[in-house]
Amino acid sequence: MKLVVNGKSFEVAVPTDTPLLWVLREEVGLTGTKFGCGKALCGACTVHVDGQPRRSCVTAVGDVADRPITTIEGLATEAVLHPVQAAWIEENVPQCGYCQAGQIMSAVALLRAKPRPSDAEIDDAMSANLCRCGTYPRIRRAVHRAAALLNGAGPEGATPAAPATPAAPATPVTPVTPATPAMGAKP
Amino acid sequence: MIELSRRGFLHGALVGGGALTLAVSCGGASGGTRIRHAEATGELVANMYVSVMPDGRISLVVNKAEIGQGVTTGYATLAAEELSVPIDRVDVHYADSHPELRTSFNMQITGGSTSTKEAFGSLRRAAASAREMLVAAAAAGWNVPARECRVEDGHVLHGANKAAYGELTKRAAREPVPARPRLKPAKEFTLIGKTDRRVDARAKVDGTAQFGIDVRVPDMVHAYVIHGPVFGARPDQVTAEAARGRPGVIDVFPFRWGVAVVAEKYWQALAASRDVAVTWGKGDVAGLDTAAMQQAMRAYDGGGTSMVDEGNAGKALSRAQTKVGGVYEAPYVAHATLEPQNCTVRVAGKTAEVWAPTQSPTLVQAVVADAIGIKSDDVLVHTTLSGGGFGRRAVPDVCGQAAVIAKRVKRPVKLVWSRESDMTQGFYRPIYAIQAAGAVDDGRVTGARLHCISQSIALSSPDMLGAALPGIPGGLKSMFVDSLLAMFSTNTMGDLFAAEGLQGTPYRFRNLEVTASPVQTKLPVGTWRSVGNSVTGFAMESFIDELAHAAKRDPLELRRQLLTPDSRQTRVLDALAQLSKWGTPPPQGIGRGLARHFSFETEVGEVAEVEIVGGRIKVRRVYCVVDCGLAVNPDVVRAQMEGGIIFGLSAALDQEITLVDGVVQQRNYDTFPVLRMFEAPEIIVQVLASDRDPTGVGEPGLPPIAAAVANAVFALTGERLRRMPLQRAWNERGAK
Repeated sequence: MKLVVNGKSFEVAVPTDTPLLWVLREEVGLTGTKFGCGKALCGACTVHVDGQPRRSCVTAVGDVADRPITTIEGLATEAVLHPVQAAWIEENVPQCGYCQAGQIMSAVALLRAKPRPSDAEIDDAMSANLCRCGTYPRIRRAVHRAAALLNGAGPEGATPAAPATPAAPATPVTPVTPATPAMGAKP
Repeated sequence: MIELSRRGFLHGALVGGGALTLAVSCGGASGGTRIRHAEATGELVANMYVSVMPDGRISLVVNKAEIGQGVTTGYATLAAEELSVPIDRVDVHYADSHPELRTSFNMQITGGSTSTKEAFGSLRRAAASAREMLVAAAAAGWNVPARECRVEDGHVLHGANKAAYGELTKRAAREPVPARPRLKPAKEFTLIGKTDRRVDARAKVDGTAQFGIDVRVPDMVHAYVIHGPVFGARPDQVTAEAARGRPGVIDVFPFRWGVAVVAEKYWQALAASRDVAVTWGKGDVAGLDTAAMQQAMRAYDGGGTSMVDEGNAGKALSRAQTKVGGVYEAPYVAHATLEPQNCTVRVAGKTAEVWAPTQSPTLVQAVVADAIGIKSDDVLVHTTLSGGGFGRRAVPDVCGQAAVIAKRVKRPVKLVWSRESDMTQGFYRPIYAIQAAGAVDDGRVTGARLHCISQSIALSSPDMLGAALPGIPGGLKSMFVDSLLAMFSTNTMGDLFAAEGLQGTPYRFRNLEVTASPVQTKLPVGTWRSVGNSVTGFAMESFIDELAHAAKRDPLELRRQLLTPDSRQTRVLDALAQLSKWGTPPPQGIGRGLARHFSFETEVGEVAEVEIVGGRIKVRRVYCVVDCGLAVNPDVVRAQMEGGIIFGLSAALDQEITLVDGVVQQRNYDTFPVLRMFEAPEIIVQVLASDRDPTGVGEPGLPPIAAAVANAVFALTGERLRRMPLQRAWNERGAK
């Protein structure tokens, strides 16, 4: 079957129910996409299919044949990093770095859908990506910074929009509350 | 800081390709041996190398592993500072396993928050020596005094003369190594304490960073291991005909840890594993039940080994007007590194080559050698990037398994565990119950007694590797135990770790008794970020909060009363009070809790702001003040505090490994939750300025957070939660 990864075509001979993750890593040779849980619980394997984030560890390769797939290796053009990658470096986001490919793929998809996300929208979009090192505060800052870069403003333009009413996050866990503390509250 | 004699400290050498290389010897537990050897023989046994390359780049070979803590950035900063080059001109390489590279605890290991402390003096002296030799070479060439030259951006300058480092390396290598290189004084620092760049960020955002799981070796095959339901269970009967017939499958065979499935590709091994039927033996921990264990530990009323005995705590307690007491409990918890345990091994005759995301190449050597019956020195280990460590990668159980498989199939093998194996195969943070009693008289604390009942890492450590690797030689076991002993500078084996963080407490109780009782099981336990401190910090700081309320004192004021005035402890408390606006009323619906802890020679204080929303404990904001001596990379320190707090919050609120009839109940991130973005608090970190040498950073941010949250819950609701995970304790409050 034919796979289209980062704009290039690959012919792969694997059973159609093989997880896309392992086809990317072993057949296409792109190891930037990581294995974390095998059950779509951690987000380390996030790639884009038709521009939408997908957990490649539970995606059967047969379902995505001939459809455009983007991995972390396909974000930067030539020597120029994607603004989300640049923002990640500027905010010193990575610690061990293992989850960051998945985080960045989720953030790129978020910013495509919502060019100026609020903190609550960032929580919604990013809460399915685990980071064991605890880089979340920096990821939040980096998403705002990337939004500013993508919108042509400098970092000073990174003021987030007013927090929207929080919706339930895309995670199987507990209830959500507004992410921004009540700054106006009496100390 | 351990210093070698002047004569033995450094020597210059010209290596192939015209680089100027300085060999460095860093301290650590074996530093004393190195100093004696150097003084006696004049010979330096180096364990780190700084090279100035002909292209002007700086190459560092370090004996540490990057597990996210920023050691590569820290070491690059130290070298770049003394050489006056930008930090991105430094390339950091991991050293392979060699006996002379063993520093911490007589091993080549990354742990105990020791790396920056070990290298701070010696690495800078090596880089400064290189700089002075480059200057001397340039000055000789221009026939000017060296002292009139200066360095800037990788060049030596004098008047109109300018020479790049790369042009000078060959001549510089012939210069004598300075006996006393001039280190930059703090006021001249342009990078130390100032730089905010990480050297490893680029590769970690563009997909090029190579972790252990990404290793590729020619002719390599892939392995998956099916582990039994109970730790240590061996396969009885294996039905694998269908699996063996699948495309790409090379071998399916039972071994002492389970059933190995080997194929040309990992996806083939994974698919074939589903066709393997196994009946299992009983297992090492058959029948183990953590609920029953916790009940027994909570109620245990025997004595323990004395760890601290100052004054007369018994007398103080018997005379007290008010007695305060409780049992603080912690469950087993897993490390759950995002990169599952994995290892690649090539066996050739009586030698082996290993690629592993490991915190200890030395232990990998020992375990691999033992698993396939060769000598440790004949195992060469290449350290890769690690997708998280947290202490789990100090235990190389997966490497022994990979070696046995590689030997059998006669091809290089990469073994990658499933998440479920990673979660269920032990080496957890030990289960704990700490019984505490305190005496309060006239608003003052007059005595305290703490009894730590826990599964002892040190006591179980000979069996610890033995459990995973039966037949391990006694020599290795004793090496491991000796190293653990060295780590905590005590000779009482049974007492290690259990009361870590309580012994040497900066609180001046006057009457203090700390005892420890070990609990033995065959479920192996190990070092988990901040080790014993992760529980003793929770217990002591919750206990102090209880004492403060009993004494009707502000919790911060009571701490100040018990601490030495004008100490690092009170300095951090004062800064924390200011940062968190302690003493002002919190916003409606918010509780504030305070905790502090001294570990790895670093003092950290934290205030948590907590609310309860829909029955859920929600931590909205954490203020953190840290005194870690001189912060080489302040932003790395801030990142480690943030990371330690969030890692600690996951465990404080939600995580536990429970066993029912020997079976671990948590198998993946759905049942062993890790804090997610929408629950991550705002974290405000203040790094105190200090001119002391650097101390630990990777672990000390963690110990205070659980108590800060529990104390905040008490402040908000009057409910005292003494058992982690706190969310479960909250849900079950009043049920006992």
